[in-house]
Amino acid sequence: MGFTESVRRLWVVTSLTLRYLLGTRRVIAMLLLSAFPFILALSLAAARVAAFNILLFQVLLIPLFLQVVLIFVTLVNATTLIREEIEDNTLPYLLTRPISKPAVVIYKYLGYVVAVLVLLVPPIVLAYGVTQAYQGTGLTTDLDVLGGFLVATVVGTVAYGAVFLFISVLVRKPLAVGLLIGFVWESIVGSIPGDVPKLSVIHYLRSVLKGMIAVGPMTTYRSDISAGIAVLILVGFSVAMIVLTVMVFQQMEFRQKA
Amino acid sequence: MSAVAEAAGVSKWYGEVLGLNAFTASFGTGITGLVGPNGAGKSTLFKLLIGQLHADQGTLRLLGENPWNNVPMMQRLGYCPEHNQMYGWLSGQQFVEALMRLHGMPSEKASKAASAALKVVGLSGAAHRPTRTYSRGMRQRAKLAQALAHDPDVLILDEPLSGADPMARVQILRTISDFAKDGGHVLMSTHVLYEIERITNNIVLIHNGKAIASGDIHAIRALIDEHPHAVRIETSHPRQFAQALARMEHVVSLEVPAEDTLLIRTRKPDAFYKELPGIVADTKLDVRGLESPDDSLEAVFRYLVG
Repeated sequence: MGFTESVRRLWVVTSLTLRYLLGTRRVIAMLLLSAFPFILALSLAAARVAAFNILLFQVLLIPLFLQVVLIFVTLVNATTLIREEIEDNTLPYLLTRPISKPAVVIYKYLGYVVAVLVLLVPPIVLAYGVTQAYQGTGLTTDLDVLGGFLVATVVGTVAYGAVFLFISVLVRKPLAVGLLIGFVWESIVGSIPGDVPKLSVIHYLRSVLKGMIAVGPMTTYRSDISAGIAVLILVGFSVAMIVLTVMVFQQMEFRQKA
Repeated sequence: MSAVAEAAGVSKWYGEVLGLNAFTASFGTGITGLVGPNGAGKSTLFKLLIGQLHADQGTLRLLGENPWNNVPMMQRLGYCPEHNQMYGWLSGQQFVEALMRLHGMPSEKASKAASAALKVVGLSGAAHRPTRTYSRGMRQRAKLAQALAHDPDVLILDEPLSGADPMARVQILRTISDFAKDGGHVLMSTHVLYEIERITNNIVLIHNGKAIASGDIHAIRALIDEHPHAVRIETSHPRQFAQALARMEHVVSLEVPAEDTLLIRTRKPDAFYKELPGIVADTKLDVRGLESPDDSLEAVFRYLVG
């Protein structure tokens, strides 16, 4: 199998994934949810809330964006990648082609990462722009805040996507299990004192914010690792999850659904 | 090549349910029909042959190779699944073209191959419509197009005529015959013996996960002719249709079990299927679907297995 042919297959599977995640009606709900930071910032500005500034931006977005929007958008998109093709009986169209199962998993995951970042990044940037304009400071004044949230969004998309994709090849109802992990495990484990939060993704996302943002609610967060180390840990964790997904998927059998 | 596909003592369990039971058969060159009622194990066997299932027991070969996780073998295989789901948000052209690119074809070649295959199955006119707007017959033809567009050595077709209207049936059967005439091999499953009889004499009969007979179709024809063959037609004018069909001497009974359904039993299925397109054209009545319920074939199988 030549390099050019592999690139063609990568492009086909990734673009089919992108078209499905961004080009079908399901994207409307995802767009509305993803736009939440921007809608919130616009609402605060329109209501002329006196306390609305870059600090309030952080105070609101850490729980609402990182712990709700990011988790929900990654969960819904990552769990559909393979499970929906299994349930819809469309997977044989891909698997009866000269493309390996690991390649299908990895190419679909790449398509997912691009699609979710297309959904999540613009609203964060726009929300930041509205906040800066409202408080009358230049767009470059608090770039550390924007940078911190963008890095957390990218790494969170990669890590949560890998976890939810793995769940989707393990169980038939990945959304329910994903909801438990995303909203119960992450919020409970992430708020227990001591070293227990290290077992959650959100701990490392908070560590990224703490390490990258000079002034804000995360500066007092208890974390003994730098932003760079937190990113590396999440990337390593994501790679491990994808490897596990590939191993399970390689041995999976696909019985036709009635 | 002596056998396109071979199964020796192949068993497959789904939990406690036995999908295939020590199935042993050899599928020769040309067209071979795998005939059996629903639940007989046809789809399980095909899923094993395309590498989507792993045999619990026995050995299985397609084109001389073990199909499980066999990526290079997929270049030589064309598969048409039984179900009608497709990527509904793609047009027929985009659907086939994308799948051709997975065979490593450059964009232009994939586009040409997709157009040619859609033309062969008579879908050129609807090539740029989203596949979610296709009728069942059009979906069957689009599935056939994606299976043969890369010019495979062997086609595995799981109930390719199920639900197709009379015109689509003619087109699909013609396409399969032409593929075989050009040197291709076809394994086609059906629960309607008369469908397969029009394009091949080679059949394997499967029942309860076992191969119960194989070889020339004529040997069991006499047995089957003793049992009236049932055909269910979906139409918005079942009573008018019944009037038109009542003139056929070989029709044993006509029933209207639902507002849009006509159930016919005939002693001469060959003649029935031959005359039906002419009647549809003469009466100008719509036929949305055509299916043969299992019961007539089931009776034959009960007889064969004692």
